[in-house]
Amino acid sequence: MKPVIVAHDMVTSYGLGVDTCWRGVTDNRTAIGQVTRFRTEAFQSGCAGIVQGLQYNGDGSLVLQMLRMLFRDAGTAIPADARLLLASTKGEIDLLERFVLEGRGDPEDSTLDRLLTKVEDLCGARGGGMVMSAACTSSSAAAARAASLIKNGRADAVLVVACDSVTEFIFSGFSSLMALDRAPARPFDRSRAGLSVGEAAAYALVMSEERARREGMPVLGEIAGWGLSDDANHMTGPSRESEGLILALKKALASAGVGREQIGFISAHGTGTVYNDAMEMRAFREVFPGAAVPAYSIKGGIGHTMGAAGLVEMIMALRALREGIVPPTVNLTTPDDDAAGWVSDRLRPVSTGMHALVTNAGFSGINSAIVLA
Amino acid sequence: MTISVQGIGWLTKDAYGCIVRKERSIYDGGPGPDSLRDQLFPRPVKNFGRFDRLSRMACSGVALALRDAGFEDPQKRDIGLIGTSREGSLRTDLDYFRDYIKGGRTLSRGNLFIYTLPSSPLGEAAIQFGLLGPLFYVADRGHSLAPLLDLAAEMIENREASFMIAGTAGEEEALFLVMGTEGTGRTDDLCSFPVAQAIVQSAPEVTGIIQKFSFVSSRKGFA
Repeated sequence: MKPVIVAHDMVTSYGLGVDTCWRGVTDNRTAIGQVTRFRTEAFQSGCAGIVQGLQYNGDGSLVLQMLRMLFRDAGTAIPADARLLLASTKGEIDLLERFVLEGRGDPEDSTLDRLLTKVEDLCGARGGGMVMSAACTSSSAAAARAASLIKNGRADAVLVVACDSVTEFIFSGFSSLMALDRAPARPFDRSRAGLSVGEAAAYALVMSEERARREGMPVLGEIAGWGLSDDANHMTGPSRESEGLILALKKALASAGVGREQIGFISAHGTGTVYNDAMEMRAFREVFPGAAVPAYSIKGGIGHTMGAAGLVEMIMALRALREGIVPPTVNLTTPDDDAAGWVSDRLRPVSTGMHALVTNAGFSGINSAIVLA
Repeated sequence: MTISVQGIGWLTKDAYGCIVRKERSIYDGGPGPDSLRDQLFPRPVKNFGRFDRLSRMACSGVALALRDAGFEDPQKRDIGLIGTSREGSLRTDLDYFRDYIKGGRTLSRGNLFIYTLPSSPLGEAAIQFGLLGPLFYVADRGHSLAPLLDLAAEMIENREASFMIAGTAGEEEALFLVMGTEGTGRTDDLCSFPVAQAIVQSAPEVTGIIQKFSFVSSRKGFA
């Protein structure tokens, strides 16, 4: 059974909607700006990719507010028998903040279990739900599992929902790891100095091609293959030899049954940290020796959206495939030497019939590679 | 392709052991798994004392499972690891944020923050034992093991990894199973995947699961 995506949506710091995010990225415009919802003087940076209109410590957590926006406007009904995979790193962590700071609420309310129930109620998917958390590969791992369930005939509709938000808990944590750039992130740039945190929520409804046809659902793309791996090296720093991501890339290509020459472009994890971007380029050069493959990162536009990154970036990559356009890498001025010829600050064409590769990496040395068609 | 269970490691608050090897030991350094320190590991674990509780439990459970399955030599392998936990990261979340508040909201500690990710205890085990396969935390509402065994079996069938370790780690108990294609392991297969699934579904608690697998092991007459 071929797993195809029949509906998707997102809210990012560009605003609500896939079109909105696509316009922001292809306009080469950053949505990373000054954080005002908590004080940042003590941290490495004061900027992040913030979704406008959310209320910190308002009616519901930040992620719940984003998810309400998404599902309130869902033009496509989510089938009640769809399985649900919820991907996040810290979910409703702002509820725990409220408990510690003000004694309000129950800290258990911040757990991913409780969020799973809320998401089920919001989206109406009642076919059985699970939480998946794999650091910043959470939603790409969830998408891979959705595709696997469908490919193996264990489900014919799976809803993948991903979310994470910028809270004081998260921001202070990344600052403590010295991971933030004072300026908006500049993936693959020679002068890059770290990442910008961002927030987002997204969903993708994955169906078997057969059910999609039967129900007259549009096919927005296919999850053709995937590869997941771990560096087994260090909790926060990627392996300098890139062997983990290389393994994930090779597994993904084999899983999709495609050769390197069939990859039209790569949506890279591209956080803007010195080590991540170097690790990715080393892996890309190893797996794609010879001619450079067009590659880009959208994290200069919306920041690093953590558990939501994989799904947001997959949806953008599907859009790029449909439009036949490779987006620019937002905030890129001068590519680092190892990325020259691969990344660009311009739009580039991609031939029809090609596949896209989406890579992500996360703490604990986790790597993911997804092939889209 | 037939999937089998090839090793199981377990810890409770009173004892720890391996199922295929029929080993059961009492903690001799004081009550509970903290007394094990790094004696279970093939090479010293530098930061064991700095691991959060769940990381220690996960590493100890995975160490015992790998030992039981005959993977004691320290080398990197295409073995995946998926895990669940009733406790999740709530305790480490509170530890991190309270420490940050106590520091005046100016000093936050990276070594506490890193353990607030639900996948971090698994990450520590992957580093310690050279596990190069897929790695993620997964939980259904009941934090049951059954969906994890399903996932692990599916991933082996998909050839996403040669072997998969699936398990659960909590503050006082841990249980991890090594699964692979029948006949490809380093030890005799303990039981088939359907038998393992039936056991895990019939016994909701770790101690009950240990008892049932131990019974299967005793009937197999392993040396």
